[in-house]
Amino acid sequence: MSSPILEVKNVSKTFGNVKALDSVDFSLQKGIIHGLLGENGAGKSSLMNVLSGIYLPESGTIEIKNQKIQKLNPDIASSLGVGMVHQEFRLIESFTIKDNLTLSKANIFSENFDEAYKKYSEIFSLNSNFLTPINELSVGEKQKVEIMKLIFKNSEIMLLDEPTAVLTPQETLQLKESLDKLSQEDQKTIVLITHKLKEIKDFTERIFVMKNGKMVAKNLETKKVTDKELIELMMGEVKTSNFNKDNKKGGVKLKVEDISLTNEEQLKSLDDISFSIQSGEILGVAGVSGNGQVELANVICGIEKEFQGRVLINSQDVSKKGVKSRKKLSLSYIPENRLGVGLAPGVSVLDNSAIKEYFKASYGPHLSKGKMLGYLNDLIKQFAIKAPDVKAEISTLSGGNMQKLLMGRELISNPEVIVAAQPTRGLDVSAVEAIHKLIINQRDKGSAVLLISEDLDELFKLSDRIIVLYEGKIVKEVDINSATIETIGFAMAGINE
Amino acid sequence: MNKFILSKKLYRNELATFYSFLIGFLIALAVGSLILFIQEKNPFDVFSLMLKLSIGSVNSLSNSLNKAIPLILAGLGISIINSVKLWNIGAEGQIFMGAIALNFVYINTSINNSQIYIFLLLVSGFLGGAFCILFPAVAKVLFGVNEIITTLLTNYIVFGLTIYLINGAWKDPASLNFPAAAYVSESVYLPTVIGKLSSGFLICILFTLIAYYIKDKSVFGYEMRIAGGSALTAIYAGINAKQKAFFAMLIGGGFAGLAGAIELLSQTHRVSTGISQGFGYTAIIVAAITGMRPVGIFLVGCLFGALTIGGSVIQTIGVSSYIAEIIQATTLFGALIAQFFFSYEILKKSEND
Ligand SMILES: Nc1ncnc2c1ncn2[C@@H]1O[C@H](COP(=O)(O)OP(=O)(O)O)[C@@H](O)[C@H]1O
Ligand SMILES: [Mg+2]
Repeated sequence: MSSPILEVKNVSKTFGNVKALDSVDFSLQKGIIHGLLGENGAGKSSLMNVLSGIYLPESGTIEIKNQKIQKLNPDIASSLGVGMVHQEFRLIESFTIKDNLTLSKANIFSENFDEAYKKYSEIFSLNSNFLTPINELSVGEKQKVEIMKLIFKNSEIMLLDEPTAVLTPQETLQLKESLDKLSQEDQKTIVLITHKLKEIKDFTERIFVMKNGKMVAKNLETKKVTDKELIELMMGEVKTSNFNKDNKKGGVKLKVEDISLTNEEQLKSLDDISFSIQSGEILGVAGVSGNGQVELANVICGIEKEFQGRVLINSQDVSKKGVKSRKKLSLSYIPENRLGVGLAPGVSVLDNSAIKEYFKASYGPHLSKGKMLGYLNDLIKQFAIKAPDVKAEISTLSGGNMQKLLMGRELISNPEVIVAAQPTRGLDVSAVEAIHKLIINQRDKGSAVLLISEDLDELFKLSDRIIVLYEGKIVKEVDINSATIETIGFAMAGINE
Repeated sequence: MNKFILSKKLYRNELATFYSFLIGFLIALAVGSLILFIQEKNPFDVFSLMLKLSIGSVNSLSNSLNKAIPLILAGLGISIINSVKLWNIGAEGQIFMGAIALNFVYINTSINNSQIYIFLLLVSGFLGGAFCILFPAVAKVLFGVNEIITTLLTNYIVFGLTIYLINGAWKDPASLNFPAAAYVSESVYLPTVIGKLSSGFLICILFTLIAYYIKDKSVFGYEMRIAGGSALTAIYAGINAKQKAFFAMLIGGGFAGLAGAIELLSQTHRVSTGISQGFGYTAIIVAAITGMRPVGIFLVGCLFGALTIGGSVIQTIGVSSYIAEIIQATTLFGALIAQFFFSYEILKKSEND
């Protein structure tokens, strides 16, 4: 094997107390498509940002084209031919395709733009005139322009961060063909990040796997590695649960029937979802984010109104009811987005503590501050929340205390149905433990819980049953006793056994 | 190598707004002094004369407080609208519209009981102000049109309407060449309480309490705060954010309209361009300085009323009345800068972060 075109050794990068990259080694061979696999938060994007000079690592060495780089920055990276397509688009929406493609000072096709555009738009099957402004393009077309940008600034090493996440299956297939051409004809070196096993296996020759900031597998030969091995590498071992299971008390509390939802792009974000949850039962929802989880929670809680199908709380059809009347029927929702949805930024701790049931502190148009304070004090005591000044903005609380306030607010009234989305994301170990106890405690009191999480440890630890969402469909439903990390992992990656 | 970064302070001193105002006011006095000094006037003499002539006697004090009424009412309206994080730049137009609506009702009705009549006329003023902001409110709620632009534009429209009316349909022949509508009958003048102090000032106190109640003590105020904090949280909480914004705008516009009505019934007694001398714009300064707090608006409104009166009387000793406006505007400027230092801190950061 020839020497690598890019090689990093021992690279580490910390954010606050999160080790995003922990002594990572990585290397790329010229002219080959490499896959980088890993769960959300594994550190894939951070590694790519280091390679393109956006993040400066604390330690480690970077060598590009046999040149040791001391302090890589975006300029140097770009002049050495490293280009990155970010997870979020970085296009100037009101500019034309041509303007966006030629914006970089490294642009190599200023003389013969028309010719080059003709060639590459054919490779990418982009059927738009280059004078079209970006905001008239579909998501898939924008993605093509993003990748073409790298070619126009002469990037030999193309880092693509989850480019297929926004693509339809047909577009993904097209992308594969274009990338194949680029690597074979133009000798481009490509890194493709994705969650989807099938894509990794279809697209790449070599595979790297990251977990928790570490590189757990390097340079695997795609042809020789099995799906099962990849899943195990990606998900790691799951700790078995230390909570009792099977507290089911009978009596269906939440039932959804044939829920379908069509999004703005006329794609189905939920497709014929049905399940029910009994009193004292936790139903876990697994899936890579963006497969319909948020939409499902919003449908159940009354935020999303334009859906087909029925939602029943305690056998009562609430499909047409609003948020407040569902709350009155004893439904609580802990949304995935803590600050911004569950809590209002810029507003006081006190005001935020009353969002669920402020109407209970009112007499007609009058709102009793005294009642609100009393209620907040109960919350603070019962859920051990550290809030130094309740009149101060909510952002004065730590992440863990914010989440405790949010959970406490939603749980203190002992709701019969709870929808909790990513309740422990971004929290430290002790806060995670506290939140888990709250959920179990509530289950023992007889609540029916829908637990949406990307953290398989959490799902295995808490759930009685797990369903897997993939592209808006339930692709798997298993009892916790027969669930294995592989069956869930396969289903999450969109593979039918 | 170290970099310095600005970071928002998590905890703000409760009194930060008050201190900022004080600092701003001191800066403004200093700037005012400098200008007077350049004009070879003794700043101390000028300011003490201003003080004497604005609050030195019952008469001058009541003049000052009368001037404060429109500033306070319009400022309160602006602060209510700002609860949903929207800006009302159209108080000036709403003041005029309040007076126009009042005159319209006055011309077309007649009620013998003057107390009831005055009440009805004040209500029409309020409704006029609300009507004036109706179009910006609808445009905001239905189409998301920026309210800063639309409320500003209504000022020009309403001012044009005023000019049209007092030169045309409503022109009082008795006023000869001066364009103005006919005077209203003396029976509907707002009575005075002490000296020249209009009973409009009592209305003003009442509405300060109402605004305080709406913002701080009512369910509506709470819902406005949440909606202003995050539209997504409002949806999550089942609060109709657009509806809150709509009603906040109408109420806020009504406050300014009421100011126009009081101004007509207590000062000008007829529709003319003198209904407002930029009160609607000064009210923005008043509201912003106080961080949108009703009681603060009341106090700063009184101060600014006194400044305006003080400024107009020092013309007699050859000092331009603009000195008062310079002080008002510089106070805001200084206070905003001071508020910035109260809410942010400068931190050292190592380069790697
Ligand atoms: N700019 C940043 N500031 C703070 N934390 C960050 C930043 N970028 C990434 N992280 C954290 O580093 C970890 C790895 O994130 P990331 O590299 O985005 O993972 P992936 O792309 O594999 O999903 C996460 O815990 C994330 O929260
Ligand atoms: Mg990422």
